[in-house]
Amino acid sequence: MSHAVTELVIPRPILDDMIAHARELAPHECCGLLAGTDRIVHRLYRIKNIVALEGAHYLSSFDAAKVAHLERLSPAERAEIAFVMDMQDFSTAKKDMRQRGLDLLVVYHSHPHDPARPSGTDIKIATDYEEIWPKINLAVPSYLLISLMNGEPEIQNYWIKSGQVSPAPFIIR
Amino acid sequence: MIKVRIPTPLRPLTKNQGEVSVAAASIEDLVNNLEAAYPGIKARLCDDKGELRRFVNIYVNEEDIRFLKGKDTALKTGDEVSIVPAIAGGSPWPA
Repeated sequence: MSHAVTELVIPRPILDDMIAHARELAPHECCGLLAGTDRIVHRLYRIKNIVALEGAHYLSSFDAAKVAHLERLSPAERAEIAFVMDMQDFSTAKKDMRQRGLDLLVVYHSHPHDPARPSGTDIKIATDYEEIWPKINLAVPSYLLISLMNGEPEIQNYWIKSGQVSPAPFIIR
Repeated sequence: MIKVRIPTPLRPLTKNQGEVSVAAASIEDLVNNLEAAYPGIKARLCDDKGELRRFVNIYVNEEDIRFLKGKDTALKTGDEVSIVPAIAGGSPWPA
């Protein structure tokens, strides 16, 4: 794997847009994609969080404990502790990336009440997804977390491989 | 026969197989034949009207069927179909 060689570059306006997305949706989790070329982000795609949609959590690799927990909550409350990407939005973004010649670089989501670290659920689902990316002709992205728990946003980016989490440093430019 | 890739969350329905083969001339056909072989799978993929749910994608040779002809998308021997669940995650509590 060669993706550790170059640091990801996120332009300030895109970073600000991502933070704005997290703040607009708080206390619900936001989610989206960053795409670019040569490890430089050029474009942000906001994706709808549809965790509240009937049946969404059944098909999303959540483990039994998370499903049981989600089922105890109202649809609005579910979006405070989880996200499920609208895959119609995802496909539209993927098609746009292909037309613009961009690579998917990052999957991002927010943790309104928790630290900017992948949860057990994040790690499990990212690990399940490792085998899916090549099948849909995309490289394995890094995972970026935006925490709003302390007022000022905290942003961290990670690789998640085979259940192992490692930092994926990025530069803001 | 059409090869269908089954994602982890649906494997309890397919006896833990990550790939199954079914005969089908269209996506609608494929979903119905999957349902006959693995009862319960259709409801995970489609709503009451038979439309693909928003938290799942079906790709035929890397193209989303939403950009082809949806459930009427034709299939031929050798096509590879991937069922792709939504990217998801969430905050740690209850961990």
